[in-house]
Amino acid sequence: MDFSKTAERISVKIGQKGQSVDKKKIEAKLRRLVEEFGVQPAEAERSVTNELAKEFNPTGIGDGSGGGGGAGAKEDRSIADIAPGEWVTIEGKVVSILSPPSPSIAQSGIIADSTGAIRFVAWAKANAPKMLEGTWYRIESAVVDEFKGVANVKIHSGTTIKPIVEDRALIPSVVKIGELKPGIGSVRVKVVQEWEAAHERMLQSGILGDESGTVKFVIWKDAGKEKLTVGTVYTIFHALVEEFNGRLSLNLSTATYMQDEGDIAVSGGDTEVRGTIVHIAPGSGLIKRCPVDGCNRALSRQNYCPVHEIQPRFVYDLRIKGWLDDGKKTYNMLLQRDVVESLTGMNLDAAKELAENNPLGMDEVFLRMRDAVLGRYVVCRGREIDNRLLVRACERQKMESGDHTALLNRAGGAA
Amino acid sequence: MSNGGAPSQAKRDGGFEREPARRVFAAELRECRYQFREGDDEKSPTFVLLPSGERCNRVFLVGTLTEKQRQGDQNIFYRGRVVDPTGTFFVMAGSYQPEAMQQLAKIDTPAFVAVVGKPSIYQTPDGAFLVSVRVESITVVDRETRDLWVLDAARSTLDRIDALAQGTAPDAPRIKEHYPALDPATFRKMAYEALAQIKI
Repeated sequence: MDFSKTAERISVKIGQKGQSVDKKKIEAKLRRLVEEFGVQPAEAERSVTNELAKEFNPTGIGDGSGGGGGAGAKEDRSIADIAPGEWVTIEGKVVSILSPPSPSIAQSGIIADSTGAIRFVAWAKANAPKMLEGTWYRIESAVVDEFKGVANVKIHSGTTIKPIVEDRALIPSVVKIGELKPGIGSVRVKVVQEWEAAHERMLQSGILGDESGTVKFVIWKDAGKEKLTVGTVYTIFHALVEEFNGRLSLNLSTATYMQDEGDIAVSGGDTEVRGTIVHIAPGSGLIKRCPVDGCNRALSRQNYCPVHEIQPRFVYDLRIKGWLDDGKKTYNMLLQRDVVESLTGMNLDAAKELAENNPLGMDEVFLRMRDAVLGRYVVCRGREIDNRLLVRACERQKMESGDHTALLNRAGGAA
Repeated sequence: MSNGGAPSQAKRDGGFEREPARRVFAAELRECRYQFREGDDEKSPTFVLLPSGERCNRVFLVGTLTEKQRQGDQNIFYRGRVVDPTGTFFVMAGSYQPEAMQQLAKIDTPAFVAVVGKPSIYQTPDGAFLVSVRVESITVVDRETRDLWVLDAARSTLDRIDALAQGTAPDAPRIKEHYPALDPATFRKMAYEALAQIKI
């Protein structure tokens, strides 16, 4: 049976709506319906026409909000302005290609223009040409969709993609951390803190900050990805802004980042908490760290690093993890070695010696430090992030006779 | 448990938040008669309602451990009495708090101790109420820590009384319902007397 005439008719119909479809594809669809599924040719023509019409114009079916997709889709739009449910034509530069999370996705990545950036997804069945990182493209008639609350551009079989040959300049708009929204964002920040990696696929995680606030970041292990240096300023273009439990974090998988000059006065860097230490967590005291360059993870008792396995040539360190409580709020505090030494009066060498000459070993250090600080009134200064207090300085509170007098007056005043 | 006072801590949704340890004098904790639980979850915390106007899931107290006693044959547990300027706290640590029990077992009386623990109200067969604190941790501290605590507890008590008077205490309706006869002035006087015992 010859399907070319039917295919021609369908293609003309679709063409009237300003779209174009490969005739061979239509033929194949028809052939499949008729020959494989025994559908009547007339019915097959109707169903293929409907299928294509639907694909090209979902807003035409009982949804008045988007207006006629066909017309709107032809106008060029700025990436910052597009919203889920729209049909759009955009021109932008592919700034990042991600490895597809599923075989049904042929390609995904980030496309940006000077107004903003958005994630794109090309479905495998769309048979779209692969785009190259660093090249400008004109994408016609794509659908803007929403996934996990973030808009993205879907490339389907009706989308046309044309490379733009001329090289245009792209200046991403950099925002403050306080202005970040889920999606894609570019920031200029200082690396405030680096955390022990929680996962072996993770290259680095920690905290970035600027004048407006701080945000968590993560870099997954991927070819060509480099670690950030603590205390250094970077400009980060096109990072994924992800939301979890109402908190934002930056995923640098898609990002390009480069070291920058200057310094940033990071906000939230100086929280003072006056309270009591109400709990000392396991993993405090004398600990062993992985000696592998750039790892520094805490080892288990058996000298096991979650990434580098058994490490007999570990490095000793001191830290205290615990809860600091002011009676109204409780902070998860973390004291580094120098703070531990000044608060407990036990330095690293003394702790090592104690552990080596005592039957309880490292536990003895833990117990002594616990007995020295638990239940004590302290003043801690440091950086607060989501109830976590990274303590830079911590000292015991002193009795102030002025406080005593003031309280006596307050209690007695209205009696 | 019907009426609504918003939780005194921020954010019930989205993640675990540790309950802060309230600073309470023994004379006030002794007066607690009402405890409640918010939410039906097995893990949702139980609160003791402090008469000065705040819910309390955890307490921090510092005083003198004057007595301790080992009890039970198979299920060993320790009881202790911790004295502050206003009265006595009853503390206990059982085999479910092995670390706290070992800490308590090691301490020789008398000693200044700092205790973090969870209060609960018991009623004896003859109808009397007993408020006791299940110890999470207990450490020996110095006199200065005790003095700092008396100031801290006095300040917290006055803050609670003021919030209740101004109507800003989230649990104010519960207070009216469950402690109708209590006069907050009692606790102001208690705080004053506790402060007066501190010599600088």
